[in-house]
Amino acid sequence: MATLIEAQAASGASAATLRPQNRRNVRETLARYRWLLFLMLPGIIYFLLFRFWPMYGAQIAFRDYIPFLGIEGSPWVGWEHFETFFTNPDFPRLLRNTLILAALSLFIAFPLTIVMALLLNELRLNILKRTVQTLVYVPHFLSWTVVVSLTGLLFAIGNGPLWTLLNDVMGTETNFLADPAWFRPLIVLQDVWKNTGWGTIIFLAALAGVDQEQYEAAIIDGAGRWQRVWHITLPSIRSTIIVLLILQTGQILNTGFEQIYLMSNALNRTVADVFDTYVYFVGIQQGSYSYATAVGLAKAIVGVILIFGTNWLAKRFNQQGIF
Amino acid sequence: MARVKYRFNTPAGKVFDAVNVTVLIAVGTIAILPFLYVLAGSFATEYELTTRPFFLWPNEFTTDAYASILSSSVFVRAFITTIAVTGVGTAIQLVLTALMAYPLSKIDLPGRRTIMSLVVFTMVFSAGLIPTFLVVKQLGLLDTYWALILPAAINPFSLIIIKNFFQELPKELEESAKIDGANELRILRSVVMPLSKPVLATFALFYAVGIWNDYMSPLIYLSDTSKWTLQMFLRQVTAASSLTGEDLGNELPPPAQGIKFAVVMVATIPVLLAYPFLQKHFAKGMLIGSVKG
Amino acid sequence: MTPRKRLRAPLAILTVTGLALTAACTSGGADDGGGEDGGDGDDALSSLSIMAPYFAAVPPEEDDLIDQALSELTGVDLSVQWVPNTAYGERTNVVLAGDDIPDVMVIQGKTQAFVQTAEAGGFWDLTDYLRSGDYPNLVSENPDVEEASGVNGRVFGIYRARDVIRHCIILRADWLANLGLEQPQTTDELFEVARAFTEDDPDGNGQDDTYGFINPAWPGSIGSNSPYDALELWHGAGNLWTDEGGELVPSFTTDEWMEAVLYERDLVQNGYTNPDYATMDPATWNEPFVNGQGGIIIDVQSRAPQLVDLFREQDPENFESYVALVGQPEGPNGTFAMPTSGYSGFLAIPRSSVETEEQLEQVLTVLNDLTSTEAQILLNNGIEGDNFTVVDDYAEFNPDRQDFTDQVTGAWAQLGMNVAGYNAYSTRPETPFDEGLAQLRLDLQAEDLENAVFNPGASLVSDTYMSSGTQLDTLISDARIQFIAGQIDEAGLQDVIDRWHSQGGDQVIAEMNELYSELG
Repeated sequence: MATLIEAQAASGASAATLRPQNRRNVRETLARYRWLLFLMLPGIIYFLLFRFWPMYGAQIAFRDYIPFLGIEGSPWVGWEHFETFFTNPDFPRLLRNTLILAALSLFIAFPLTIVMALLLNELRLNILKRTVQTLVYVPHFLSWTVVVSLTGLLFAIGNGPLWTLLNDVMGTETNFLADPAWFRPLIVLQDVWKNTGWGTIIFLAALAGVDQEQYEAAIIDGAGRWQRVWHITLPSIRSTIIVLLILQTGQILNTGFEQIYLMSNALNRTVADVFDTYVYFVGIQQGSYSYATAVGLAKAIVGVILIFGTNWLAKRFNQQGIF
Repeated sequence: MARVKYRFNTPAGKVFDAVNVTVLIAVGTIAILPFLYVLAGSFATEYELTTRPFFLWPNEFTTDAYASILSSSVFVRAFITTIAVTGVGTAIQLVLTALMAYPLSKIDLPGRRTIMSLVVFTMVFSAGLIPTFLVVKQLGLLDTYWALILPAAINPFSLIIIKNFFQELPKELEESAKIDGANELRILRSVVMPLSKPVLATFALFYAVGIWNDYMSPLIYLSDTSKWTLQMFLRQVTAASSLTGEDLGNELPPPAQGIKFAVVMVATIPVLLAYPFLQKHFAKGMLIGSVKG
Repeated sequence: MTPRKRLRAPLAILTVTGLALTAACTSGGADDGGGEDGGDGDDALSSLSIMAPYFAAVPPEEDDLIDQALSELTGVDLSVQWVPNTAYGERTNVVLAGDDIPDVMVIQGKTQAFVQTAEAGGFWDLTDYLRSGDYPNLVSENPDVEEASGVNGRVFGIYRARDVIRHCIILRADWLANLGLEQPQTTDELFEVARAFTEDDPDGNGQDDTYGFINPAWPGSIGSNSPYDALELWHGAGNLWTDEGGELVPSFTTDEWMEAVLYERDLVQNGYTNPDYATMDPATWNEPFVNGQGGIIIDVQSRAPQLVDLFREQDPENFESYVALVGQPEGPNGTFAMPTSGYSGFLAIPRSSVETEEQLEQVLTVLNDLTSTEAQILLNNGIEGDNFTVVDDYAEFNPDRQDFTDQVTGAWAQLGMNVAGYNAYSTRPETPFDEGLAQLRLDLQAEDLENAVFNPGASLVSDTYMSSGTQLDTLISDARIQFIAGQIDEAGLQDVIDRWHSQGGDQVIAEMNELYSELG
């Protein structure tokens, strides 16, 4: 049953482009699937080897893993690491900080990427379009350490260009980098600066596939610019937006580690601590791989539930899910 | 097509265009300025970097930093290695991903839902560093370039997006090719792939950048320094300095800021250049319209 | 639905094929591994692999000049697996999990992973071997440091010796002269200098644009040689742990610590410290000093010559007049000096690669040779006549071979243990001023060593501390900065200390004291 509903839902979205399918007999279908399955073989082997086989090692979440003793030789501790994690007095704070940062990324950074892609798409001068596109994607290639030290430079008290600017506007001498109220805005700002341009690439690829005749027809029908964007451009990237949204909900607990770790300090740590930095401190820095794996497992379960849930929701609203 | 648009220009449209151009130029400038500082800094003296807060042109021009890194044969070899591994790796990863994405784009494929669920699962949950390391070791890939390419050969995210694009392609061409007796491999190669150039170019770029920027794989899989890629050196000079007194030997000055910037430039510019090159393929997607018409 | 179900067969076949391939690969891989192990185990070693961090921009190449010279010297083919120091911890954990572990590993600190591995028998216990005297170059000239590098009385590695005294106060000498101030000898005088550097216009430009202390955001937590740790120790708070009548107590629970933190808060609240003390990147520490914004740095002595070099570039005529280097000051409760731990990690020998006692003795012999004077010169100076020459018992480096010298000092020196003394050449000072500075540093080291306060719990490893010490210590170091910044008051600070106790700190204290009474 599930497959049937799924097939209907999926074909619903692309029904416009699908021809009514002829009923093929079993033999023909078999022949067809053989080829398809053959094409998939390398991919399936890849997933078995490099994605599923290592999961055998994830059992260290239930052990006190000591590398020298090997996975099976390490003592079994059951749910101990999970208990430690969930009963940790900092847990509510970590969850809150993580969710706030995830929400900011989802509701600010993600829409900005779409807006940016649309604005770029509206540029008529091709050379300008290409130049701007290339410029905005440059920051993606600077590592977080470089981005954070550049931020330090720009907000340096006394002579940082942005510090001077904000200082003149607000008339206070705040150390923006240490002020807890400024932590989240700065994180979002860095994220937007570094990744927006890069994120537009995928939408621009989708927009490249849009049938130009549609625009011409719309213009002839007297559609204004905004109407064209609303009725042609946006629908053509809708499925990409939905897929990206679904995939992002699965990553909601993964705020990334490096940027936040580098931006946090003694004065803003109450708002800066997230699961990923916590795992780094406890798991990696202290060398407790079992604990880090247990937290990863707990996060993954939440991620799986969220992805499958939003995917189900998307289909409920007759959109094309991811599968 | 562009001509049609211009004919229907309105005053409001012109205002929008003007604002749009201004905004995007401003955004582009903001994006590039810090990068230009790093570029300028890589040609500045250590003294200037210490005393000037932010500049786009060094007062005193020096290429010492570049001379210093390029004088090392280890570094030059890493540069060549990185280009080669990125090229070969991108091709392999893209082909493997497309091969798997195409069958999955067929909504009537049996077992499709199961496979997709498992793929999504691997995207959210990875077993972690050490278990993956042990598998790579078991497969005998340690200290080979394969270790930089194969463990990340199919990115679930890329697979899902590419699959999605394939799914949205007009089916008429495939159908007619099938009637002509073409098998699925040929349809993929001569119908689907050419129609999907923009998305394939995008993910070629994603994969290339992924390999290029990957520092974890060389770090844990390659112990032979002669096989290292650029990121190993980039990380070493840019990673946040946590050098407190005890770490160092007796008289070691910290790595010069200028060297840092120069390494950032050498490790960034080649991959930056890949984009304008791939960009032209994005426009080729226009094909779809003409084919259909 | 029936035809569909039947079509699941090809999929199943594919899956099975995949699994079979997987299995084939597995067994193949396992065989390989087994073969290597067998080869390693039996005979005497003809080669020796060492894993070590490097700090230089690029690591030395395989079989470079130093490698060749050392291989000749020790009689075994030496190969070093260089790992960037920034990723050394990650690499260490992965290497320990695999089974082609190097014969010798530099271990950077007593992490949980290391301690657990050592206690599970993963590393040779070297205590008796090192004390036997069979390896004269490995007999420590400072047994306290050797013990501190061990785990609860057992020594698992040969430590890499460092100067015991490195901290000092660095001041703008020209500012002192402008204001007619003496070099501060006590913490009170230091406070007064900080005040004067802030309020009395030390650069004479008529503007209120200077401050005293320059403190960066410190990457470590408590007891990590930060300027704050130094000030607290000078006030008599002790060095991480304090022995109070035979009981170990954390130094931050002492009255002296509170006194010192109040002193630190006054420095910040009065504006005598740089305003970005909580966020300043330590890599830019020199900048405010050279640019004339701040005038006091508490850090290792080797920062002084770096600063002198920057002034040399700025003002070649008068560069000698900018930097004053002062020894550690007297505090209100006595004279205490902050030492380092005296070592920086150690070279440990894994049992999975060095399996027999014969092999162990052979490895120790090689390490003994690597600590000879000849090897120390190779490791710290390089190749005489190539990248340096000896002038007046100093090494004078050849500027044309600077890149090679960088690899020696930035990588090879990391193999140096020097536990029986440092016998390589020092760098030849450029000018009489530099020579004077070098001599001053030695004098201050000797002077401060007499007042050094060592950590009485340095060699003790508590299980609870291993598993949650980083978090616990970060609680305190964060609260310290929050208190200094005025975010929390004394009661708030005390609350955090109470949380430290209840979240595992009490257990750490109990475990430490148990070990202390057993071993101390």
